[in-house]
Amino acid sequence: MSDFIDEEELSKQFREYSVAEFFKRNRQMLGYTGKIRSLTTIVHEAVTNSLDSAEDARILPDISVEIKELPDGHFKVVIEDNGTGVPKKDVGKAFGKLLAGTKFHVLRQKRGQQGLGISYAVLFAQLTTGKPTHVKTGMNHRVYECDITIDVKSNQPVLSEEREYSENFRGVRIEMEVAEVDYNRSEYGVYEYLRRTAIANPHAQITLTEPSGEIVVFPRASTVLPKVAEKVLPHPLGLTTADLIEMAHSSSARKISSFFQNEFSRFSAEKVRELSELNKSIDFNKTPKSLTWSEAEAIVKSIQQLKWVAPETSVLIPIGEGQLVKALKSILKPEELKVVERKPKVYRGGIPFMVEAGIAYGGESGSVVGGVRKFEVLRYANSTPLLFDAGSCAISQAVKEIDWGRYDLGKIEELPVTVFVNFVSVYVPFTGTSKLAVSPEEEIVSEIKLALMECARSIGVYIHTLQHAREEEERRSVFIKYIGEVAVCLNDLIGVDVEKTRRKLEVIAKERTALADESGGVEEDLVESDEEYEEE
Amino acid sequence: MKKSDGKRTEKLIEELGLKLESQIERGENPFIEIPIRGSANVSFDENLQRIVLGDKKAKRFLFNVSHARRFMQTLLVASYVKKDLLANDLTATIRDLYYAKKHTIPGTKEDTIDEQSESNLAIVDLEVALNTFREMLHLRAEPKGRMAGKVVIEDRVRDKVDLIDLSRMGSGGWAIPSIVEQIEFKKVSVDFVLVAEKNAIFDRLNEDKYWEKNNCILITTAGQAARGARRLLQRLSEELKLPIYCLTDSDPYGWYIYSTMKYGSMALAHESERLGCPKMKFLGMSASDIEHYNLQKATIKAKEVDIKRALEIKGYSWFKHKRWQEEIDKFLEKKYKAELQALSSKNLQYISNTYIPEKIKNEDFLP
Repeated sequence: MSDFIDEEELSKQFREYSVAEFFKRNRQMLGYTGKIRSLTTIVHEAVTNSLDSAEDARILPDISVEIKELPDGHFKVVIEDNGTGVPKKDVGKAFGKLLAGTKFHVLRQKRGQQGLGISYAVLFAQLTTGKPTHVKTGMNHRVYECDITIDVKSNQPVLSEEREYSENFRGVRIEMEVAEVDYNRSEYGVYEYLRRTAIANPHAQITLTEPSGEIVVFPRASTVLPKVAEKVLPHPLGLTTADLIEMAHSSSARKISSFFQNEFSRFSAEKVRELSELNKSIDFNKTPKSLTWSEAEAIVKSIQQLKWVAPETSVLIPIGEGQLVKALKSILKPEELKVVERKPKVYRGGIPFMVEAGIAYGGESGSVVGGVRKFEVLRYANSTPLLFDAGSCAISQAVKEIDWGRYDLGKIEELPVTVFVNFVSVYVPFTGTSKLAVSPEEEIVSEIKLALMECARSIGVYIHTLQHAREEEERRSVFIKYIGEVAVCLNDLIGVDVEKTRRKLEVIAKERTALADESGGVEEDLVESDEEYEEE
Repeated sequence: MKKSDGKRTEKLIEELGLKLESQIERGENPFIEIPIRGSANVSFDENLQRIVLGDKKAKRFLFNVSHARRFMQTLLVASYVKKDLLANDLTATIRDLYYAKKHTIPGTKEDTIDEQSESNLAIVDLEVALNTFREMLHLRAEPKGRMAGKVVIEDRVRDKVDLIDLSRMGSGGWAIPSIVEQIEFKKVSVDFVLVAEKNAIFDRLNEDKYWEKNNCILITTAGQAARGARRLLQRLSEELKLPIYCLTDSDPYGWYIYSTMKYGSMALAHESERLGCPKMKFLGMSASDIEHYNLQKATIKAKEVDIKRALEIKGYSWFKHKRWQEEIDKFLEKKYKAELQALSSKNLQYISNTYIPEKIKNEDFLP
C-alpha cells in the first residue's frame, strides 16, 4: 500500500464525518488493505489484546485462532484467550466504539502499535458482511455473551442477544464473519504473523486452525512471564496525531494545557507555554475533547521542534536473551543460534532504545521458497512483528549494509538462515502511518548492525566448522574411491587378500582423514619444465 | 634383455608391495619413497660429467589429498609391469600401458588415468622409486631415430636372432628400437659417429654416401633424442671407443638437445649414468660458423622465447665452459639463429663435401 496520505483531505474528512465514516473511507491507513493483510490485521488486533490482558493478570497466555472458509466465500474468524476477560460494563466500549481508548492510553511501552484496535475489526466485519461480532467474556465463573455492531453515524455500540450465565470460563472469545479477506501462508498472512508473534512471546502458547483443517501449535517455550513495564506517562516525542486525538478525546482534563501537563511525562507548564507560542491559533484553554485533527497535527509537528528531557531507560522492555533463545529454539529448531542483547542507546539526541537480535542457522530456520529454506528477516518493534513495508525499514537497511562474506555467510540469501531483530523503545520512529517500518536513523541502523555482526561472527564460526567437516568427508571419499584400486594392485604385486586389505585401508582412512594434510610438500617440483623436450 | 634382469625387477616390485603391506598391517598411512626429480634435487657432477639425481626423497602417501591419485597410478604401473609384462616376458609401449590400466573406478565417474601424461609420470616415479630404469620394467617408448653405416649388428626379438648389415639399409636407414640392450655389435669398421638432430640432414648425408666415403656411422635422433638412441650412442662411445660428433641447428634448442645426449637431462637425471655420452663433441652449427662460413644472409631473427631459453641455458652449470658461454653470448649479441640447412645456400652438397670434413679435419668442435 502507498503511505501517501493527503493530510488536508484527511483532516477535512475527520471534521466532517463520524469516526466510523472516517474509517469507511480510510480503511487502507488502518491496515485493512489487501485481502491477506486485512485478515492478518484482524487477528493481530485480537491477539494483541489477549497478550496484554494475560500480561496484566500475570497469566501464561493460551491463545487459539481459528480461520474457516465458509461456502459463500466469507471467512469465520474465532479468537479465544485465557486472559482476564472484559467486565460486562466495558464490553460495548471495548468492542463497539472507535477511538474509545481501550487501552486507556497504555501508560507504558505498548505491544500493539499497528491498527487502531479491535473495534475496527468489528466494524470491518459489519461493513463487509453486515454481520455482528459475537463476544463471550468470562471471569469469576460468570459468563457474558452478546452480539455487537457499531452505529456508524454516532460511533456508539449496539448490543443484542445478550446472555448471562454461570460457567467456568475465563477469558474472551470473539467470533466474527468477514469478507474481502483471504488466507494463505505467505509472509504477509496470519500463519506467518502468529509464527513471528510466538517467537517474540515465548511465554505464550498459540494454536492456529487453518481453513484446511490443519492445526498448527506454536508451543510455549518458557514459563517465565515477561517483566511488566513500569507505568510511566507517555513521552511527548512518541506521539502521533492519531494517538493524540485518541488521548485528548477520552481525557477528563478540562483544558488542553492541563491535559498535556497531567497525562505526559516531561511536559512542564513551561513546555506548554513554548508549545502555545508555536501554535497561537490553538486555544489551549478549551476542552481536549474539542481538539481537531488539524490542530493535533500541528501540535505533534511543533513537539518535534522543542527540546525535551529524555524518557527514562527503565521503561524499555526487551524480550530478553534467555527468553529469546528459548523461543527461537522452540520455533526454528536451529542447528546453531546466537542471540545478542545490546545495551540501551539513544537516538535523536535523547530517545532511549535498545536492540536485541538473533541469527538462527539450519533446522527450520529461513522461509520455504520453492521447497528450499532460504534467508528471512523477522522484524519487530517492541516485540510486535512488522510484516509489511520491509523496504524502508532500518532493520532491512542494516541487513543490507552488512558484509556477510566476512563471516563466511557470503551467499546468505541462499542459506537456511533466520535473522531476528527487535527494536525496543518507548517511542518507535515509524516511517509512515502504517507503523510497519522503523525509520532508518543513523544511530538505529548502526546499533542493529553491531548486534547482527556479533551474531554473524558466532554463526560464521559454526558454518566454518561445518564446511571443514564437509571437506574432511570429501577428502575421505577421495581416498575411499582409490582404496579398491590399491587393494587390487597389491594383490597383483604380492597376492594379498583384496577384501581384507580394502577393509584395513578403510579403517586407516577414517583415522587419517583429519590429519590428511600431515605430510605435504612432496608434489612440489617432481617434474621440471624440460620434460617437454624429453620425447616419449 | 636377459631373463635375470626380469627376475631382479620382479623382486624389486615385490619388495615394494611387502613394504606397503606391512605399513597397512601396522595401521600406518601407506607411502612410497620417491627421489625428488627437479631442480631442487638435480645437480651437475663435474667429475662424472653428467647430470645426477641427489639423495632427497619424498614420501608419497595414499592418504593425502594431493598424493592419493598418483599413489594409485604408481601401483597400477607396478601391477601392469609385474603381472602383464614380466610374468609373460613381454614388452609394451607406454601407450599400451595407458590403455591397459585406464578404466573407470567402480562406484565413481572418475577414470584411473585421464591422460597418458599421467601414466608416463607414474612410470618414471616407479623407475626412480625402484632405482631402476624403464627398460627393466619392459616398457618402451615409441622408437625414434635411424642409423646407417659400415656396421653389422645382431638384434633379437624374443627368441629370434637377426644379423643386420647397416650398410645395406637403403634410403631410410635402420630404425633404432627403443630398447637396445640386446644389440650386439658384430663387425665395426668405422672411425667415428656423426649424429644429427634432424632427419633432413641424415637424408642429405645418406644420399651423398657420406658415411661410406668418410668411414663413419650416421645417426638421426629426429629431434630430442629418445632413450634408445641415447643408450646406443653411449654404447658406441664406451664399448667401441668411437668419437661422436653432433650436428644441430644453431639455436638454444639445438644446444639443449646436444647437452641432453652428452650429460643427461633433469627429468631423467636418474638415468644419466646409462644414457649420457660425456665424450660427445659439438661439431656444429655454432654461432662462429655463421660468420666463418658467411651464412648471415641465411639466418633467422631470434624470437623472444629463444632469448629467454638462451639465458636459462647460460645459467645451467653444465654449460659453464668458457667456449659455451662465449657461444651463448654471441647468440645473445647477434640475436640470430641458423638451421643446418642454411649451408644449402652455398650448394646442396656443401654440408657433405665441405662443411663437415673441414670441421672434423680442423677439430673445430665445441666441448
